[in-house]
Amino acid sequence: MDDFLVIDHVSKIFGAQRAVDDVSLTVAQGEAFSLLGPSGCGKTTLLRMIAGFERPDSGRILVGGQDITALPPELRPVNTVFQNYALFPHLSVWDNIAFGLRMSRRPREEIRSGVDRMLELVRLSEHARKRPAQLSGGQRQRVAIARALVNRPQVLLLDEPLAALDLKLRQHMLMELNAIHEKVGTTFIYVTHDQGEAMSLSDRIAVMNAGKVEQVDSPEHLYETPNTSFVASFIGDANFFTGVALEVLHEGYVRVLVEGLGSPLVLSNGAVTVNEVLRLMVRPEKIILTLARPLSGESVNAFRGVVEDMAYFGSHTRYRIRAGEHRILAQMQRSRFSGGEINPARGAEVWMSFHPDEGRVVRLEGEV
Amino acid sequence: MKRSRLPAFITLGVILFLFAPLVVLVVNSFNASRFGGEWEGFTWNWYVKLWAAGEVWESLWITLKIALSASLAAMVFGTLAAYALHRFRSWLQNVHHMLITLPLVMPDILMGMSLLALFVLTGVETGLLTIWIAHVSFCLSFVTMVVLGRLQDFDFTLLDAARDLGASQATAVKMVLLPLLLPGVLAGGLLAFTLSIDDYVITFFVSGPGTTTLPLRVASMMKTSRSLPMINALSTLLIASTFLFAALSSRLQRHV
Amino acid sequence: MSKESRTVGQWLLTFPSLAWLSLFFVIPALLVIITAFRPADLQGGVGPGWTLATLREVQDPVYLPILWRTLWLSGATTLVCLALALPVAFQMARVGQRMRQVLLLLIVIPFLSNFLIRIFAWKSLLHPEGPLTKLLIWLHLIPENAVLLNHVGTVLLVLVYTQLPFAILPLYAAAEKFDFGLLDAARDLGAGPWRAFSKVFVPGVRRGLISSSVMVFVCCLGQYVIPQMVGGTSDEMLGSKIAQRVFSDRNLPHASALAGGLMLAVLVPMLIVVLWQQFGRKESE
Repeated sequence: MDDFLVIDHVSKIFGAQRAVDDVSLTVAQGEAFSLLGPSGCGKTTLLRMIAGFERPDSGRILVGGQDITALPPELRPVNTVFQNYALFPHLSVWDNIAFGLRMSRRPREEIRSGVDRMLELVRLSEHARKRPAQLSGGQRQRVAIARALVNRPQVLLLDEPLAALDLKLRQHMLMELNAIHEKVGTTFIYVTHDQGEAMSLSDRIAVMNAGKVEQVDSPEHLYETPNTSFVASFIGDANFFTGVALEVLHEGYVRVLVEGLGSPLVLSNGAVTVNEVLRLMVRPEKIILTLARPLSGESVNAFRGVVEDMAYFGSHTRYRIRAGEHRILAQMQRSRFSGGEINPARGAEVWMSFHPDEGRVVRLEGEV
Repeated sequence: MKRSRLPAFITLGVILFLFAPLVVLVVNSFNASRFGGEWEGFTWNWYVKLWAAGEVWESLWITLKIALSASLAAMVFGTLAAYALHRFRSWLQNVHHMLITLPLVMPDILMGMSLLALFVLTGVETGLLTIWIAHVSFCLSFVTMVVLGRLQDFDFTLLDAARDLGASQATAVKMVLLPLLLPGVLAGGLLAFTLSIDDYVITFFVSGPGTTTLPLRVASMMKTSRSLPMINALSTLLIASTFLFAALSSRLQRHV
Repeated sequence: MSKESRTVGQWLLTFPSLAWLSLFFVIPALLVIITAFRPADLQGGVGPGWTLATLREVQDPVYLPILWRTLWLSGATTLVCLALALPVAFQMARVGQRMRQVLLLLIVIPFLSNFLIRIFAWKSLLHPEGPLTKLLIWLHLIPENAVLLNHVGTVLLVLVYTQLPFAILPLYAAAEKFDFGLLDAARDLGAGPWRAFSKVFVPGVRRGLISSSVMVFVCCLGQYVIPQMVGGTSDEMLGSKIAQRVFSDRNLPHASALAGGLMLAVLVPMLIVVLWQQFGRKESE
C-alpha cells in the first residue's frame, strides 16, 4: 500500500540540463502528495512524465504495480488538472466532463450518471449547459477537477491548481480541494511553487531543487526539522549562521562557535566532528526577545543585540536585530511582552534566546 | 483629463471620405440622368438593362466558379502551411515563411506579369486553369496568415488535455484542434473568396478568350459610355451583397 | 513522436504550399529576370538566343520622369495615408469594444467592395458633369471650366482612397496593444495633448507605422490601373509602362526588364525593414 505510485530513479535531460536528476519517490494510495519547489526545479517535468507527456531518459514509473513508463498518456490510469485548466472552449461544461468517458466508449447511460454525479460533487449542476468562458475562475477549476475525476483515475495530477485564482478564492479552494480529496479518496499529486499551498494541501511534500529531491516529509517535519538550508529557507523564514563545531555532545547536540555572536548549543542532525564548519538555522518565531537577561534554563543560548528595525503585523511584530556583523530576524507575538515589560523600541538593547532544540545544523545547499 | 476631439473628427471625416463615392454610385443607379450630375428622377431602368445583359451574368458565374475553387484550394494549402509554420522551428520553415510572406507584398502587376511569362514560355494556353492557378497563388498567403494568427491563440495544452482524457493523437486533432481552428480557416477562406472576386490586375494578365471575369467585364464596360449607368446598378448590387456578406460572417463569428 | 516521424510530418505539411509557391511564384519571378536578357519575337513571345539590348533600351531617359513620378506619388500617398490613419487608429483604440467593432466594419466594408468599382465611383464623382464638380463650381471654389479628372492630383487622391485601409489596419493593430495610461502619464508630467500624441503614442505604435508605410508604399509602386483610369496621358507610372509593353507593344522582354527594376524597388525597402526589425528585436532582448 505504501508504494502505490513509484518513481524509480527517473531522469530527464533537456539539452545540457538535467531537468529531473535521478529522482526516486513513493506515494501511498489515497495520499495527498506535493511536489514543491521554485520554477525550473523539475517538478513540472516530473509531473509531465507521470502523465505521459514526456518520456524519461532513464528510470521507471509504476502505478499500482504496473509499469507505465512506455504508455502514451491516453492509456495511463492517470488524469491531470492543468495549470490553466485547458477546458475545451467549444464544448459545454457537461461535454467537457463527458469527454474522457466518451473516449473510452462507455455506454450512454453510464456517461450521463457519471457526469451528473461529478457535477454534483463540484456543485456545478446548474451550470452544465454553459461554456467555460461563461464561468468564473473558481468554477472553471472545479470543472477541470470533475473532468479528470469522472474517469476514476488511480492518480490525479494537479499542476499549480490555485495559481490562476485570486487570494480570497485561493483560500476557499484550498478547503474545497481538501474536501474533494477526502470524499473521493484518490491519490492526489500536487505541483506547486507555493509552500503555504503545499503545506495545507498535502500529507507529505517532496521539496525539489535543481532536478533533485531535497527532502520528503510531512509539512510539520519539513518546517520543524529541515535537513538542508534550501528546505529551511524555502519553507518559512530562517536565520542562518556559519560556525565551527567546538564540542559534540552525545545526546545529539553540538556547541558551535559563531563569530560575532557567541557559541550556541544546537541539535546536530547527524554525525558532526569537532572543528567541522557548520551551518545553523533558527526560525524567527523561535527566538525570544527580552529586555533583561533571561533566567537560567532558557539562558543556554542567549545573546545581546540592538533592535535595528521593526514592523508591526497585527498578529505579530517582526524585529531586525543587529549583533556584531549579524542581522537576525525575530518574530514575537505581542502578548509575550505583556506582564509589565515594555516593547523594545528602535535602538533598544535586547536579549535574544532560543532553546537548543530550536536551533539545528542543516546541510549547505543553495539557499533561496 | 480632457480628451481632444480632433481624432474623432478626423475619423468621421475618413469614414465619410471612404463612403462618399459609394453613396454616389448607389444614388446614381436610380437616377434617370445618364451622367448623374443632376437628379432627373427615379428609375429602375438601369437594373432592367443590367438584367438583360447576359454577358454580365455569364462573367459573374465564371468569377464565382474561380473564387470558390481557388479559395477552397487555398484553404487546404494555407491551413497545412500555417500548421507547419507554427509547429516547427527549422531552416525549412524560415524559407517557407519567407516564401509565404513575399506574395503579400509583391505588387499585383509583377505577379500577373511573371505568371504570364511562365505560361508563355511553357506554352500553356491562358484560360480558366491559368486564372485559377494565379488566384490560388495569391490567396494561399492570405489564408496562411489568417490561420496562423488563429493558431497563435490556440492553447496547445488542450491537445495534452484531450490525450490525458484518453484521446489518441489523431482523435485529439479531430475533436479539439479542428473545431477550434475552423472559424479561422473559414475566415481565411472568406478573405480569399473576396480577394479572388475582386482581382482585376492579375486576372487581366493570365486570362484568355472566353474567360472574362466580372472585374474584366466591368473594365470593358467602363470603356463604353452607353453602359456606364449599368455599372452603377451592378456596383449597387455588389455593394449590397458585400454588406450582406459582412453581416453574415460577423454573425457567424459571434456564434462560434 | 520520434525524430524521424517529426521530420516526415514536417515535410508532408510543408510540401504543398512550398511546391506551389516555388512553381507559381519563385520560378515565374526568375523567368521574368531571365526574359529580360532574351530577344523579343513579333508574336509577343520570346525569341531564341540571349541579348543585352533590352537592358540598354530601358536605360532610355524617357523612363526617368516616369520613375521619378512613381516614387514621389508612392511617397506622397504613404505620407497622406499615415497622417490620416494615425488619428483614426488612435480613436479606434480609445473607444469601447462595441464602437470599435462598428468602426472596424465601417473601414473594412468599402475596402471589400470591388477595386474597379471604387475607381469607377471616383470617376463618376469627379466627372465634369458629376456632382462634386458641380458642387464645387456652385460654391465658387473652382473656376467654371475646371477639370477634376485626368490630373496627377486625381491619381494621388484615388491612390490614397484605395490604400487608406491598408494603412489603418496595421496601425490599429498596434494601437490596440498600446497602453493608454502612458498618455495620462505624459499629460501628468506636463505634456500637452499634441506632445503626448507625438512623443508617446506615435513612438508606441512604431511597428505598426513601419508595416503600414511599407504596405502602402510597395502597393503604390506597382499601380497602373489608377493612373490609367483617372490620370491624364502625362501621369503614367512605372506599372503603366509595363502593362503597355505587354499588351500594346507585345514586347515581353522589354516589359520583363522594367518589371525586374520594379521588383528591385519593392524588395529593397522590404529588406531594409526586415533587417531593421531583426536588429531591433535583438537590441530589445
